[in-house]
Amino acid sequence: MKNEKKSERRLAYILVAPSLLLILAVAIWPVIQSFYFSLFDYRLNNPAKSSLHLDYSLNLERYLESYPFLMSALKQEITQATGDEKEQLTSIQQKLQKVDEEIRADEEVAKRYEQIDEILNNFEVPSEDIKIVSIDEQAAQHLTKTINETKQTLKTLNENGQLKQGDKLTGLANGLSGAVIEPNFVGLAHYKNYLSDARLWKALWNTTVFTVISVSIELVLGLAIALLINKAFFGRGLVRATILIPWAIPTAVSALMWKFLYDGQNGIVAKYFADIGIINNMSELLTTGAGAMFAVIFSDVWKTTPYMALLLLAGLQTIPSSLYEAASIDGATKWQQFVKITLPLLKSSILVALLFRTLDAFRVFDLIFVLTGGGPANSTETISILAYKVMFSQTNFGGGSALAVIVFICVAIISTIYIKFLGADLISDRK
Amino acid sequence: MQKKAGPLFYVFLFVFVFLVMFPFLWILLSSIKPLSELFGEEAFNWFTSHPTLKSYVSVFVNYPFVKYLWNSTVIATITTVYTVFVAAFAAYAIARLDFKGKSIILGIVLSVSMFPQIATISPIYMFVKKFELTNSYLGLIIPYTTFALPLSIWLLVTFFRKIPFDLEEAAKMDGATPLQTYFKVILPLAVPGIFTTSILVFIAAWNEFLFALTINTAEDYKTVPVGIAMFQGQYTIPWGEISAATVIVTIPLVIMVLLFQRRIVSGLTSGSVKE
Repeated sequence: MKNEKKSERRLAYILVAPSLLLILAVAIWPVIQSFYFSLFDYRLNNPAKSSLHLDYSLNLERYLESYPFLMSALKQEITQATGDEKEQLTSIQQKLQKVDEEIRADEEVAKRYEQIDEILNNFEVPSEDIKIVSIDEQAAQHLTKTINETKQTLKTLNENGQLKQGDKLTGLANGLSGAVIEPNFVGLAHYKNYLSDARLWKALWNTTVFTVISVSIELVLGLAIALLINKAFFGRGLVRATILIPWAIPTAVSALMWKFLYDGQNGIVAKYFADIGIINNMSELLTTGAGAMFAVIFSDVWKTTPYMALLLLAGLQTIPSSLYEAASIDGATKWQQFVKITLPLLKSSILVALLFRTLDAFRVFDLIFVLTGGGPANSTETISILAYKVMFSQTNFGGGSALAVIVFICVAIISTIYIKFLGADLISDRK
Repeated sequence: MQKKAGPLFYVFLFVFVFLVMFPFLWILLSSIKPLSELFGEEAFNWFTSHPTLKSYVSVFVNYPFVKYLWNSTVIATITTVYTVFVAAFAAYAIARLDFKGKSIILGIVLSVSMFPQIATISPIYMFVKKFELTNSYLGLIIPYTTFALPLSIWLLVTFFRKIPFDLEEAAKMDGATPLQTYFKVILPLAVPGIFTTSILVFIAAWNEFLFALTINTAEDYKTVPVGIAMFQGQYTIPWGEISAATVIVTIPLVIMVLLFQRRIVSGLTSGSVKE
């Protein structure tokens, strides 16, 4: 019997393993990486910052594409130069030689140096992984200093017309200068910047306003609808299907549809709203801050109230009708029945529905991205939209990741609060 | 289901259904209007006197709309099949077998399903870029695992739990191994639950926007939601085509929802109601 238990347990772990590994690899690991990215000045459009560097490093491909040629050009130049120029050129030649030796003093670097040199000599392209090598800080600073001196000297000599191959020499020296990569680790600087940036607080405020208002309206309306249709009637299936359609349609497509209906000149919904006096004129919906927020919330309520109603309806149907019968025999009014029976028994259904809806609303992206793009003047810009813009429009992955981590922390706080209320109900075995 | 419905109830029902369906109705009516009637004076007329299918033709002629539909179908189908397959084993173990750490695993699954997508996008984007998977089917199928797998496990666990435990006991008495019990007894009974789960995962994958927007940017690999959203140009928005395209993607959805509404509702509510 004990053996059987053991083998059952082993089987269970084997069955769960693939799923757990996948979740770890595609969901949990990326979140950890997001946090790591957020500690760097990480920009895709800037070659010196397009990867993460904790230490000083050297781009050997770039270095070796210039250094040997610069040295041989210098040698040639020196043989033809005289007097003061010769002295200056010899001095920089020696300095470069010295710093090159200093870099190669490190065994690891020396090995990589040879390797890349050979690859370049064969006219091949070294891969990203091997061409960057970390070097020690002192050597790096020394190298940067020498390169700058070289550049300066050559530039002056060239401007005075004292060099035979002036342009070639300065060009090679310039090529060398991009080889040293400074560390782009910035620690918590992104967080510090964003937390003192009004745009972030505005985005957080917008997200909160959107979430609180839309979820409360959805809860109240959803509960009302669930109570009303919790009875036997003709065409239940049809009504249920109708309710599901707004939920099932892609949010991006429904957002575009609403954009058409809200249009300031030709939108039918804008016209009706203006006719009944909710707005002063049709264009207000998408061109003013308050109008746009209202428009976004209204679309969200349309799309998700039915879903909320379904969840609550399912909860209502588990309440035994005998409870209501007993209550009405005891003379309880409808309102008393609602407050004393329906609400308490529906509590866990309501909390679960609220949890899922709050989190969904808090990370809202598609609806706002398509409907308003966060505008006008950032008045509907939520935190996810802001993070997306920083990452993909400004190609600032470090900053964008910091914002993404902030979203993640907010979501974690919200779920912790709900789970506290729900207790362990949600994941316990319901045998 | 204690009360009978009166006539007033049906009036309410009709108004409710009408309000919910109004945007679709209007889009449907707009999609058959000639372009000139979408703007200006005639924009607010309910019915056009010159119905035309021009917008529908344009969607297929001027946009790679068939390609979008095909991409979405392939990506959503593969995502669904593979995640449900992997999830079914895990869900069986969690629901039916006895082992330590069960609630922790279920807790992890639930928390991962609550992860905001934006929190995973930058590393995932760098990953697909590095392995040159941008603008490919695999480039979306891998990221879609982040939401499809937890959703599948979560739903399947609730379905597996509903199957009577006596059956397993009986199989065990007859000397079946747990794996035999799984394939011969549990799996056949779980088919409806697996089907329901597949529908919900398919819809979630079909509707996904953020990953599709950032990873598959080439026309040849866009999915339907991104494709339609990108119909809008810099200065003009082709409302006729957008209406037609919306109708085209909504109709199969309506049919699916009509056919499977009972299942979808049971799937949606299974995780949230204590029974």
